[in-house]
Formats: sequence, C-alpha cells, structure tokens
Amino acid sequence: MTVTLEPAIHGDRVSLLRVLGPAHVWALGVGIVLVGEFTGWNFAADKGGALAALIVCWVVGLLYTSVAMIDSEVTSTVAAAGGQYAQAKHIVGPLMAFNVALFLVFAYTMLEVSDAILLGDTIVAKAGVEGLTHNSFIAATIVVLAWLNYRGVLMTLNVNFVITAIAYISIVILFFSVSPWTQGAVLKLNELVTPGNALPYGWIGVIAAFQFGIWYYLGIEGTTQAAEEVRSPARSLPYGTMAGMITLLIAAAMTWYVCASMMPWEYLGITYYPLWDAGKLTGSPLLENLLFVATLLAALASANGCINDAARAWFSLGRDRYLPTWFSAVHPRYRTPYRSILFLLPIALAFAFIADLNQAITFSILSGVLQYTFMSINIIMFRKKWPLGSIRRGYTHPFHPIPAIVLFSLCVVTFFAIFLGFGSQLIAMVAFYFLISLWFHFYRYKFVRRGDQFTMPWPKPQGY
Amino acid sequence: MSRYTPPEQSKAGQVFDIAVVVVAIFVALWLPLKLGLAGAAKSIDALDAKTWEALGQNPTMASIWEKLGYTPETAHDIIQNRFHYVIDWPTLVIMAAVLIGYFVFLFRASDREYRDVINEKFDDK
Amino acid sequence: MWTLLSYACWGISIVLALWMLYDWFKVDTTFSEEVLTSSREGELEAASEKHRI
Repeated sequence: MTVTLEPAIHGDRVSLLRVLGPAHVWALGVGIVLVGEFTGWNFAADKGGALAALIVCWVVGLLYTSVAMIDSEVTSTVAAAGGQYAQAKHIVGPLMAFNVALFLVFAYTMLEVSDAILLGDTIVAKAGVEGLTHNSFIAATIVVLAWLNYRGVLMTLNVNFVITAIAYISIVILFFSVSPWTQGAVLKLNELVTPGNALPYGWIGVIAAFQFGIWYYLGIEGTTQAAEEVRSPARSLPYGTMAGMITLLIAAAMTWYVCASMMPWEYLGITYYPLWDAGKLTGSPLLENLLFVATLLAALASANGCINDAARAWFSLGRDRYLPTWFSAVHPRYRTPYRSILFLLPIALAFAFIADLNQAITFSILSGVLQYTFMSINIIMFRKKWPLGSIRRGYTHPFHPIPAIVLFSLCVVTFFAIFLGFGSQLIAMVAFYFLISLWFHFYRYKFVRRGDQFTMPWPKPQGY
Repeated sequence: MSRYTPPEQSKAGQVFDIAVVVVAIFVALWLPLKLGLAGAAKSIDALDAKTWEALGQNPTMASIWEKLGYTPETAHDIIQNRFHYVIDWPTLVIMAAVLIGYFVFLFRASDREYRDVINEKFDDK
Repeated sequence: MWTLLSYACWGISIVLALWMLYDWFKVDTTFSEEVLTSSREGELEAASEKHRI
C-alpha cells in the first residue's frame, strides 16, 4: 500500500461512510443466513423427522416474516449503527439496549465461529488427508474476513453479494437438475417420507424441531446494522430486508424438497452437509463439486456478515460509553469501526478452536431468540410511545399488533423447544445475562451520559 | 432537572471493565460445557437383528444408505440413536421463572433509567 | 496439496494479522483520540434530513 493516510474528515469528525444500496442490504442479510441451508436446518429433522423440518420451515418462516416486518418499521425510523441496540435505547431504555447489544454480539460472533468451524470441517472432509486438522482453515477464514471488514464496508459487502449470489444460484441449479417436477427418477419423497416415519416422535418432535428451525433464517435481522452506512436507510432497509426474507423462504423450501427427497431422515438429521450430500447422491461430479464450493462460499459470506454486524454493535456500545469509548474509534481512512473488529477477532478465534459446532450454534440461537422476544415487546411500546402520525416512519408494517403477537407466541414455543434440547444451558446463559445486567445497572451505567443517548429528532414520548 | 455529568473513567478502569466482560463471556460458555450440561439426551435403542428391515428402512432408503457407504451394522447406531423427550417439570418451572424474572428486571430497570434520559433530554431545552 | 494449502492458510493469517496490528498502531499514533472517537449517532439525520411530520 503506497497510498498515504489521508484523513477523510468532514468538519472535524470521522464517521462511518454512507455508501451502501439495497443490494448490499440484501447481501448482508441473506449472506449471513444462507449458510443455514447448507448446514444446521437439517438438525430439525433429527429432532422431529423430515416432516417436522418442513413444518418448522414454514412456521419459523412466519416468525421471521414478523421479525422482518417489525424490524423494517422500527429501523427505517431509528436508523443508526447497532440496529436493534439503538432501537432499544430509544424505545425501552439503556439496560435493555445493553442486553440487546450483547445478544447481537454473541449471536453473530458465535455464528461466525460456527461458520468457520463448518468451513474448516468441510475442507477436511473433502481432502480426506490423514492428520489434516481444521485449525488453519478456521484461522484463515476469521483473519482474512476481519481484514476485509477492516479495509472498508463497501468492498466487504460487494464480496458478500457475489459469493452469496453464487451459493444461492447453486441451490437453484441443484433444484432444477434433479427434475423436481417428476418424482421417482431422482427424487423419491414418497418412499423416503412415509406416514410411518414422517413424524417419528409425534408432535413433541415438531416442537423440539423449532430449535433448529431458527437456523433456516437466523441473522436476517442483521440488515439493520448497516443503517448508518446505507445511502437512504428509510427506503433501502425495508426493501433489502423484505427481499432477503422472500429469497430465503424460496431457498428453504427448495432445500427441504431436494434433501428430504434424497436422504432418509435419520441420515439427514446427523449430516453436517445436507446439500453437499444431495449433490453427491445425484452421482454428478459437477454438482458435487458445485455444492462443495457453495458450502464454503455460504460459510464465508455468513462469517463475513457476522463480523460486520458484531463489530457495529460493539462499536455502538463504546460510542454511548456503555463500554469504554475506546471501542468507538472509526478508522480515518477506511471508515470502519476498526478497534471493535480487532477486539472481536481473537475472541472468535479462541471459541472456534475450543468450542464445538453444536454448542456454538446453540449459543447463537439462544441469543437470537432472546432478541426476538425483545422485538415483539419493543414494537408494541414503539407504537404506544409514538403513535402513527407523531413521527415520520420510513415504513409502516400492516396488521399491527398481529405480527408482534405471533412473534411473541413463537418465541415462547422456541424457548420450550430449547428447554427440551438444551434446558440447562439456557438457564446458564440467562444467568449470565442477568449478572452482567446487574453489573451494568449498578456499576457501569454511572459512566454514561443521560440525555445524550437519545439522538433521534423526535418529540417527547407519550406517557413520560 | 440538572444535567448528570458522569465521572471520567481512568485508563486502568477501562481495561478492567473490558476484562470483566471478556471473562464473563468465557465463563458463560465454558461452565455449561465443563459441567456437562450441554447437549440433549439421546441414547441408542439397541436392536439385535441388524438388517435394513429391522431398522425400519425400505429398499429405497437402504439403497441410499448403501450409496452413502453404510451397512446395516454401521447405520444401526445412527438410526437407533433416538431422543427421549421427557418433560422435567422442576427444570421447566425453574427455566420459566428465570426467563420471566430476567425480562421483568430488564424492563423495569430500563424504564427507571429511561425516565432520566427523557427528563434530561426534553426538560433542559 | 491440501497440507500445502493448510500451511498457506497459516501464512496468510499471520501476514494479515500483522498488517492489521501495524495499521492499528500507525493510526493510533497518527491521529488523536478525539478525532478517532468523534463519530456521533444520529448526526447525519439531524444535519441532512429536516425532520417534519
């Protein structure tokens, strides 16, 4: 690099750069999530059978459609880096915001860790070389992507757009190359999913499957983290998020159809590479290799988006003094929250080396569901404190409060599902959030400026 | 209402706070693993007859298993490894209480802090 | 070939990590802390969008 450091300072301030369009928002949202089609969703089949995986695909799709609608409304109005964190700060209060930011950082960092482990394991499985471990590939994934994020958001999300599109197209290619319109040739859904084995555990299995059903879509709400970097947040964020959600619903349906028609559910439930396996089972080396590459690309895109989102949430915490202001530094040339990116890098690396894939996924899902529970209450409070017409909203979601109620009910079901699978871990995690909340409320909050946290040019909320 | 001026935090204090958060994160992740709490209850319902029929696999399924490189013997542990969903009521009650308590505390404490924010933001104009 | 790739991955990781550390050090010593942490939430909205109902 021969270019000298020229500070891109407007006035005397350095801020994040507004360069992104709706396509980047789509790439950020879908990029994070799409890996879920390549691994993770299929564990829902393990929990409740192939049909349960399909049912949760739809029902959890409903949960996330509610998330996307609610999120689009609030974030097109509260457009700030940190996304749901800034929403919580303006609508519920500082302690909630602190917790939401932690949910975000953990959900994304653990998702990044899972992606890196998946990528490493996929390469090791492909290589089949004695003694080859996944550590070097994990390290390269995390460090290279952190570097990309460090160097600028536009390049990061351009890359994400390309690799996400390739991974997505490969699912479409797989779908059409197994002649989905005729059963019996390649696809044998009737023989693989029979009345006898469709729901091997009955309905309790369907509920248990919710835990991994989340994985079909986890992370789509991350689009809001880009709020300070999109050119017109009020338009691009709802548009990119909704388009992303539609894309994902289609991908999830295609993935289930192909995989359930090609593998017995017992195998589907334990494999780490359902789509790659489907590619193998077609017998075509071309498809097999395509799906192998697509699995890697999807994992990369996801980890990339996660670094982006986790760093922004961490950065926002520093900016409001919830954590030391040191984290709120913006790189004068690349205009990225570079210290947050660097700080989270070794944490992600450490967990990628010590945690296992299941645990990382569960931690991520738990933090996600805690956050959705917050969102359902948040939107009700938002409409109450600032009724329609009292402030300008970029987008107003229809059927309020039905999406909020649906979201809340499905979160309760998902908590029950997690209880069936990982009950004690849920208690341990909530205990952690509880303790750190006490720490924040009684100690850390004294360093926070009060009125300055409220940055939106809104009137006083009703009832205060 | 007077403006609240937070104390300046020393460098050492900042570093200490970061360390607290990092340690808390690691403990939260490590403890469940160390105590063996992570992971769901799955156990193998062993069968004596190891054939595809006994394992409940029809010829189509059996052919796919074989394509994937499994024999009835090697697939046995995968197919018969089942969940045993039992609702452990005391744990469920504890979990529900912890979750509800957590959210109630969050919203109540947040609201107290939020009132300060609103007062300072809108009253000193 | 895979083993070689594995070594290449370690190499890339170390080089990029060192570069980031170097750049971090350079930035932190070139610019003052006030400039680096001068980003404010909602600043652009206030400046560029006149808020009307």
